[in-house]
Amino acid sequence: MTWDWAFVIKILPALGIGVWYTVVVTAAASVIALGLGLALAIMESVSKTYGRAFVLFWLELFRGVPSLVLLYFCFYVLPQLGVTVPAIPIGIVVLGVVYAAYCSEVYRGSLITIQGELRDACVALHLRSYTKWRRILVPLMAQRAAPALLNYVLSLFRETAVLFAIGVPVLMGEANDIGYEHFRYLEPYTLAGAIYLAMNLPFLYVLSRFKDKHA
Amino acid sequence: MLSATNFSQQLQFESNAVDDSMDEGGAAPHAKKMMWSIEFEKVSKSFGSHQVLVDLDLQVRPGEKVTLIGPSGSGKTTVLRLAMTLAKPTRGDIRIFGESILFDADKKGLSAAQESRIRRRCGMVFQQYNLFPHLTVLQNLILAPTTVLRQSKAQAVESAMVYLRMVGLQDKARSYPAQLSGGQQQRIAIARALVMKPEILLLDEITSALDPELAGEVLDVVRRVAHESRVSLLIVTHEMRFAREVSDRIAVFDRGSIIEQGVPEKIFTQPENERTRTFLQSVLDH
Ligand SMILES: Nc1ncnc2c1ncn2[C@@H]1O[C@H](COP(=O)(O)OP(=O)(O)OP(=O)(O)O)[C@@H](O)[C@H]1O
Ligand SMILES: [Mg+2]
Repeated sequence: MTWDWAFVIKILPALGIGVWYTVVVTAAASVIALGLGLALAIMESVSKTYGRAFVLFWLELFRGVPSLVLLYFCFYVLPQLGVTVPAIPIGIVVLGVVYAAYCSEVYRGSLITIQGELRDACVALHLRSYTKWRRILVPLMAQRAAPALLNYVLSLFRETAVLFAIGVPVLMGEANDIGYEHFRYLEPYTLAGAIYLAMNLPFLYVLSRFKDKHA
Repeated sequence: MLSATNFSQQLQFESNAVDDSMDEGGAAPHAKKMMWSIEFEKVSKSFGSHQVLVDLDLQVRPGEKVTLIGPSGSGKTTVLRLAMTLAKPTRGDIRIFGESILFDADKKGLSAAQESRIRRRCGMVFQQYNLFPHLTVLQNLILAPTTVLRQSKAQAVESAMVYLRMVGLQDKARSYPAQLSGGQQQRIAIARALVMKPEILLLDEITSALDPELAGEVLDVVRRVAHESRVSLLIVTHEMRFAREVSDRIAVFDRGSIIEQGVPEKIFTQPENERTRTFLQSVLDH
């Protein structure tokens, strides 16, 4: 088997579409993961009873079940229950929800590092709970959690590859389709791997900047 | 430019406002009794089985400067934290200008809004400054006035600048706390408490994290507040010279209660209680 440059050029546009979907799915799922993760962390901290129990249940559920199982459940089982959702929204929501569980752990960890003294200062200044969260705790949590959160966004980005299993045309899906169609797997999968790797680089750059800053 | 006189006028003006509200009578349920700015009545506090305060009675007059001294672990910080509602007493009542910060007239717990309204007359400065690290000095100063007192941003900035000048740090408005020395941070923390125009200010060992020369600049600020304003001060400090100079009254704490109190002259020159003498000897030797 030899490397065929003509074939490479022929399949590049299709892989380009895969890159586009990968970026869109990663961005949308990240927004859900970061936002929902924050909401879960706040809920866990504010509530002493039902809210906290709900959050813990959520964490165990979505960290315990492989995302592929969740994807298949939503894609094949929900329609039988009368709920049909297209593959792309399913992919975005499942990854978003799963990574929200991980992100909320990160937020909770960074919330613990915010000294009780700052909360005391909020009381002494009579800040309402909303102001305390909005202006003090959330910005500090986000600032401290940023490197770890970025790591999870990076894993989420890689995990978008599994969405090919329900037919989302992410990069892995496109590579798979091309291989299947032409019975040639060398170029599509090699290119897919190389492109995934290259797309990692901006994340790694930003992460290294964080490390420099806090070194 | 606002000068020191303007600052004292501003605080003078505030203290008039206090007197007015007291004359209104009906404003507070206990208005007819002697009005203490803050009053502890038979307050006890335990952490688990460890009883930290035992039936504490302590009253502070409006404008009075009271300093709590006593050995480590005797419960001084706990008194201030209870007053600021950072902790709840196990028994007893605490009143701010006659209104309980724990119960309503029917002895039921207060709603968050009621509690906030009553304790808003009280401010606190901490040993570790506790400035918000991600906000600039100016943002630290205007956050509470704009969100709690609902001042306009312009109003809040103007008032913040008055207090920054008063603590001598008007040129640091745009700095972040980490860019300032400990003494400067603590002066900012004092200004941040003052912009809320408290009528009672609680100061918990505000110089004990500082080198002596930085402590001096912070104490100078407190001296000015003490002399130029009519805010009540409840101070915890290990700086005996400062306590003597600035206080109207000294209360000596030992194992969760006041063993002796009186004017500084008396406490420092003719203490009656044997344990007061021992304590003063141990701190003055250093
Ligand atoms: N949150 C808490 N949980 C358990 N014990 C506490 C707590 N806060 C204070 N204590 C205990 O209460 C006692 C009084 O503490 P407090 O801080 O009021 O003393 P202090 O007079 O301010 O001492 P210092 O001069 O060392 O600051 C100490 O024995 C302390 O260990
Ligand atoms: Mg203390």
